[in-house]
Amino acid sequence: MPTQSPNIEPRQTAPILLISIGIVAVGLLLFVMNLCFGSVSIPMKEIGAAVFGGEGSTYRAIILDYRLPQAITALLVGIGLSVSGLLMQTLFRNPLADPSLLGISSGSSLGVALVILLGTATGLSVNTLSLWSTFGVTVAAFVGAFAVLLLILALSSRLRSMVSLVLVGIMIAYIAGSVTDILKFFSQKEGLHSFVIWGMGSFSNVSKAQLPFFAIAVVAGAVASFLLFKTLNLLLLGERYAENLGVNIRRSSMLIILASGFLTALITAFCGPIAFLGLAVPHIARFLFKSSDHKLLIPASAFIGMDLALFCNLIARLPSFEGNLPINSVTALIGAPIVLWVIFHRQKVLK
Amino acid sequence: MNEVLHTTNLLIGYKGQALMPEINVSLNEGDIVALAGPNGSGKTTLFKTLSASIKSVDGEISLFGKKLQDYHPSERSSLFSLVLTEKPDDLFLKVFDIVAAGRYPHLGLLARLKTEDEQIIYDSLETVGIGHLTNRNFVSLSDGEQQKVMIAKALVQDTPLIFMDEPAAFLDYPSKIELVNIMHKLSREKKKTILFSSHDLDLLLRHADVMWVVAPHQPLRQGTPKELVEQGIIDDYFKPIIAKEEFFWMNSK
Repeated sequence: MPTQSPNIEPRQTAPILLISIGIVAVGLLLFVMNLCFGSVSIPMKEIGAAVFGGEGSTYRAIILDYRLPQAITALLVGIGLSVSGLLMQTLFRNPLADPSLLGISSGSSLGVALVILLGTATGLSVNTLSLWSTFGVTVAAFVGAFAVLLLILALSSRLRSMVSLVLVGIMIAYIAGSVTDILKFFSQKEGLHSFVIWGMGSFSNVSKAQLPFFAIAVVAGAVASFLLFKTLNLLLLGERYAENLGVNIRRSSMLIILASGFLTALITAFCGPIAFLGLAVPHIARFLFKSSDHKLLIPASAFIGMDLALFCNLIARLPSFEGNLPINSVTALIGAPIVLWVIFHRQKVLK
Repeated sequence: MNEVLHTTNLLIGYKGQALMPEINVSLNEGDIVALAGPNGSGKTTLFKTLSASIKSVDGEISLFGKKLQDYHPSERSSLFSLVLTEKPDDLFLKVFDIVAAGRYPHLGLLARLKTEDEQIIYDSLETVGIGHLTNRNFVSLSDGEQQKVMIAKALVQDTPLIFMDEPAAFLDYPSKIELVNIMHKLSREKKKTILFSSHDLDLLLRHADVMWVVAPHQPLRQGTPKELVEQGIIDDYFKPIIAKEEFFWMNSK
């Protein structure tokens, strides 16, 4: 401890370790619950036996083939979107910024629309070519999202202000949205249906074979984002202060957009556009830790995002529901009140 | 006296368009220099040019004997620090965190604060008189307190030169006096060189060692406040403002 005169108040932080343990414990609990509960309830004590023991049991099949990949996908989505949302909120200094802000998810919607809707129109039915089409949809979403990301990165070097960049992003989203609508108008019924289902988001699209790739990519994106924490902290002071403290604004913005956009593009490609997680989670992290230090906020958002996504996944298939609820309706139902709370809380603090 | 900065035939402005004739001025170590002039006279442009936020139209700025543009941006952060009118607005940003951010150029990859860094942060908070605000949220502070936080941030950055843009702009009178006291303390005790801009004539005349006076399309004039008053330059350059204030006084009687 530095020596101090009596009129200095030493630094206090929230009980970081305690809160972190709480978040991780909640995460573990939710993860196990995700394995237990569903249309078939599996008793907690059977989980271990089903995973490590008796091959061929129904429980083992349900858990290993269905619930485990889904739960892992959910937590990865929670990590990725929350970190991505935090980056956007800090870069644009806007508490209501989220991963879809720059039109990246609209780009992937357009890609998917092209494949599903044109595919059905040309006779390549999505339902009959199920395996090919899941892969095709993922690739199309990927291509659409990265096309927008590259466009944004190219334009960001020409634009002077962050506000213009946001406006450009919103306009790209509008253009992609309207082309998607036109495609929808000309498409056939079954194609439209598949597209609407994709748009509702799902944690069950990532196959067991794809899961390792998905996991590595999400974790890589999150780690890359963490490495930007100094820049993000300095950006909170404002651009001119950040610049004076050694931040190359243009290069840093591009790196932040790249990290955030990569995570968004990746997740949207595999799981569809998932709303509200990326918007709400950073606010919960700031509130719980009473901090805006990104060295703390990035891991905190990742773990809280994991918890919230697992919770949403659980709600989406409460035993009383036959099948899964669309994940987007659940994330919105839980995320929107959080955002409302943020708006009112801000008003209170700023007075 | 050691020279900190000087300009040679410096032309400032935007898009190749100069705002005023060539500027030849210098800053000496430990000086409090006021950049004074009515609003719209090019103060901010000169300020931004000297702090490397924008490029000059022509001429040269020499900082510690080397051209300003020849420094790498990361080198600049240990030569001069800023106190600006724009304020951080993040709700959870703590006083300690803002001041600690000023220490970043001195820290390693993971920005881990060593005991000596923490000591420097606490000392700076005490120097500007806000040691009791360590854990407060920045947005909950008064304008005067926020200004002191930003000065503490500049102090931990540990630069010989500090630029302050309109530091008195939003302050009430007692806060202005405190600000002036802090500036004197930094200059006399810590040998900091301070360039501050202001359109507050009273503050400038009382407390600057040297003044740089600007007005639209007029040459910049450098001198002590006394010299500039005696030469009638203050009257000339501030005429629009003085006229406006007299008008205000007449109407308020």
